[in-house]
Amino acid sequence: MMEVILHPTPRWRDVVLEQVRVVGLSFRREALAVAVALGILTLMIGIDIVHGRGATWFDSDNDWFGVVLGSFFFPFAVWRRERRFGPAFLWTLPVDRRRLALAKAFAGWVWLMAALISYGVWQLALAALSGVTDTRIVPLAAFTTASVMYLFGSALVLGLRHPLRWLLGTFGVFFVLGMLGDALRFGPYDLNAFLISRGFLSAAQDAATQWTITTLLGLGAGLAVLWAAISRHRENR
Amino acid sequence: MSNAFAVATHGLSMRYGRETALDGVGLRVPEGAVYVLVGPNGAGKSTAMKVLLNLERPHAGRAEVFGLDAAMRGPEVRAQIGYVPEQHAHDYGWMTCGRLIQHVAAHYPAWDHAYAAHLIDVFGIRRERRAGALSKGEARRLQLVLALAHRPPLLLLDEPTDGLDPVVRNRTLAQLAEHLADTPTTVVIATHHVHEVESLADHVGVLRAGRLVAQMARDELRRTVRRYQVEVPDGWQSPPELRITSVRRSPGGREAQWTLIGEPDEVTARLAAAGATVREVTPLALEEAALAFLSEEGAP
Repeated sequence: MMEVILHPTPRWRDVVLEQVRVVGLSFRREALAVAVALGILTLMIGIDIVHGRGATWFDSDNDWFGVVLGSFFFPFAVWRRERRFGPAFLWTLPVDRRRLALAKAFAGWVWLMAALISYGVWQLALAALSGVTDTRIVPLAAFTTASVMYLFGSALVLGLRHPLRWLLGTFGVFFVLGMLGDALRFGPYDLNAFLISRGFLSAAQDAATQWTITTLLGLGAGLAVLWAAISRHRENR
Repeated sequence: MSNAFAVATHGLSMRYGRETALDGVGLRVPEGAVYVLVGPNGAGKSTAMKVLLNLERPHAGRAEVFGLDAAMRGPEVRAQIGYVPEQHAHDYGWMTCGRLIQHVAAHYPAWDHAYAAHLIDVFGIRRERRAGALSKGEARRLQLVLALAHRPPLLLLDEPTDGLDPVVRNRTLAQLAEHLADTPTTVVIATHHVHEVESLADHVGVLRAGRLVAQMARDELRRTVRRYQVEVPDGWQSPPELRITSVRRSPGGREAQWTLIGEPDEVTARLAAAGATVREVTPLALEEAALAFLSEEGAP
């Protein structure tokens, strides 16, 4: 009989690092396109700075709304080249499937944060050149909100075979219900009234406490749904 | 190792909707064996491999690889396996071959970089080419590099020669033989083309419609499945207990050529007792012998 020496499984750290590398590599083209776009924008802002109109570019933080919204869809890009369901190549690797999904989701988040930080630094640098010293143009809350959005987006991508269909369907249903609600003048019983006016958040004393509670709730809920979603990929026991 | 079997499945059953893919399959692959799993399309060969990798969940039964339960210890089991899937297209077609090899290597601590470089050379893989742009044959060769380079104790090869031209096929089989000589490995090969791997095979299993209808060592298969040249009297009926798989009769009907399953002495004695005269008994090639179980039928 032959002597069989069983092979070890890879270290968790090595798996995560490799996922970070691979996810980064998969965004090479997109990163190049964004860099070109930012380069053009830098040129345009640079011209305005020379003419003393640079500050007009930094009079609001509204562009971060789009960035945060984009974070929700970022997981779609992270997983776009991966067969998430069925006997895909990813699941043949010698790593617990749920941990592997988590490693890839984490790798995506690392690149999302790297992108947001780069964007923030770029914005701050140009603002400084324009004479704008208000650092609030890069809201720190954007990073936590983007993380929460990313978690929910990841949960959607990993938990559903057809996440876009579900998303559009859900929005469609909410749209119809919203129309119905307006028609019936739901007013005092809408979600916003419940959460803000009469719910627990109204008890918070200041904005910082409100932000902390909201962020922790968001991150907690995001992690919970992500865990539920990646559990669809757990080992077949 | 206390377990004498590299692969053992116990009453493995699996369905896709109403279709039965596996029906109570009990594979026994001895350690160090080259086990050829034969069967027509849809017989359950690929499904059996996916269950071993814990890619598919059986409806009943369980699978063990080197004594490790495939369902309970999936990652450890997969660390022991080099897998060449049936399909050629790689999920990571956007990567270059070199990067894909690097990616897979990162998940196998036992990866042998020098051996990987040797395999890349032997199989003529160009590292800079995109995996998605490879031809069927090139993709298959890349899959073989990925499966062999960590010198796994178990190789699961699903139609490994599919898509290879004859020259590359021979080179691939030679490389596989070299690998087996250098590395203690158990191999399970699922194939339609038994003759291609005949020189490597030492055990054979035959799957038909999800059922394992035969499983034995090569020598036993060649001994028990033979062609009998028989002369029979007019109106002769074969004994019902004979396992006849194929029949060819002369135009007059007095001479017949049968492929029969059973110990040759016993079969000859039964035929003689039933009034037939056995003229000649010839052994079959491995493929013919294995396929005999697929065409097994009742008495002629």
